[in-house]
Amino acid sequence: MQYMLLIYENEEIFGGPEKNGPIMAEVGPKHFAFIGEMGAARLGGAGLKGTAFATTVRTENGQQAIHDGPFAETKEQLGGYYLIDVPDLDAAIALAKKVPLGRDGAIEIRPLIPMPPGMTR
Amino acid sequence: MGGQALEAAFREAGGRIVAALAARFRDLDMAEEAFAEACSRAAKAWPLSGTPNEPAAWLYRIAERAALDTVRRRQVRQTLFPDPPEPEPTAEELMSSDDAIIPEERLRLIFVCCHPAVAPDSRAALTLRLVCGLEIAEIARAFLTNDIALQQRLVRAKRKIREAGVSFEVPGPEHWPERLGAVLSTLEVAYSKAHEDAAGSGRHAGFAAEMLALTGLLASMMPDEAEVQALAAIIRFAEARRPARLAADGSMIPLSEQDPARWSAELIADARRHCGRALSIGSPAPRILNMMIHALWCGRKSLEDPPPWKAVLSAYDLLAGLQDNPIVTINRAVALAEVEGPEAALRAIAGLDPARFATFLPYQALLADLLARTGDVEGARAAFDRALALEPGMAEARYLAARRAALSGA
Repeated sequence: MQYMLLIYENEEIFGGPEKNGPIMAEVGPKHFAFIGEMGAARLGGAGLKGTAFATTVRTENGQQAIHDGPFAETKEQLGGYYLIDVPDLDAAIALAKKVPLGRDGAIEIRPLIPMPPGMTR
Repeated sequence: MGGQALEAAFREAGGRIVAALAARFRDLDMAEEAFAEACSRAAKAWPLSGTPNEPAAWLYRIAERAALDTVRRRQVRQTLFPDPPEPEPTAEELMSSDDAIIPEERLRLIFVCCHPAVAPDSRAALTLRLVCGLEIAEIARAFLTNDIALQQRLVRAKRKIREAGVSFEVPGPEHWPERLGAVLSTLEVAYSKAHEDAAGSGRHAGFAAEMLALTGLLASMMPDEAEVQALAAIIRFAEARRPARLAADGSMIPLSEQDPARWSAELIADARRHCGRALSIGSPAPRILNMMIHALWCGRKSLEDPPPWKAVLSAYDLLAGLQDNPIVTINRAVALAEVEGPEAALRAIAGLDPARFATFLPYQALLADLLARTGDVEGARAAFDRALALEPGMAEARYLAARRAALSGA
């Protein structure tokens, strides 16, 4: 079976949305150790920059709108994800707008925290 | 001399320099800091060595070097998380062509500042700060907020742009339908915020020149976009009337009482060119109707010409049909009062909740005027007091105070 582990924490403890504060310096190496421990079980993963850097493409009644900020509704649930590598946010938005949806929904675009050299996702 | 020359160079070229640096280094903070550094070096150097022949080019070169220094320092510091490849230094190449030394990148910067991923309430402030070079305190005043709150808003917006990877490219025409709206409304808000004070301090001249240049630039780049042409026309019509907005005693003169002879014929002619272009493309957008209202007023040749209230009212009728907007309701009521009388205008604004508009100056000023004209002296006096308590600009305050003093029995 394949599973996705979604990490929920209070992002404020990480020293701002860049997440480069002392707590990250403490937790970061633990993640790298954990990556080693998971070995081949780990298919990928990454840290996300804070919600202050999120952009959301919202679809309502077939109309798409882009806005600053994270996904904020409660009537929808996380249903899937795509990991993409594109030149900039505009390219990410262009792809986000093409993500098929059953009806209404939102695609939250979150930049990844860059990996240190030598590490792979 | 150095101080004046610096101030002039800052006003004339500040926005253009910051935009060029931002486009080159893909970093708004770095562009701002490098430009500030260049200005502080100029403040020290120019009084001693004299003002350079090309002050703007001097500032740009020094700022560019300061930015390159920052790039190098960051590279050394961030060896673990290196920045993406830095732009190649081209200072030497640029030294050779003095005229073309500062690339025109303001349009690009406007698209960055007005990106849909930037919070809407930050876009205009960011544009005023980066593209037009207004001081934090000036912008904070225009947006009725304090310096610290505004500064925080700008910092958040700039971090978002950097960390989320907002593109520094001008989007292709296929993206204009969704991107242009934000740009135009941001420029509109930016212009109206800085335009509100009829007295328009010395600072305004530079800002107005900047807005004329920017909208002209947009209009020449997008000749087939009706709304771009309309905005260029609107700003030209509005700026054309500036010389006639103030009475000798410093109080504001309402539009219908301004002497058309004092309007700028040159700007009106320029506005009409954009206006004609917009109409030939054709679009029923609210911005086109707003442009037509400006055009109607600026068609007046002298104070003897009857004011075009009827035509203005028809345009507001159409506008009211397109958008349910209290500003339109209020402006339409102003015209309605002239065409059908103050009672009709009072009925037209009866649907607006007085509590919601208690702190909205145009509403209180209109209400005061209408009540005064229907003979409700007490009601009018109270409305004038509420309007004056909202601390309007100097010119408007003088006008309102004079109207209040003229109430019979006052």
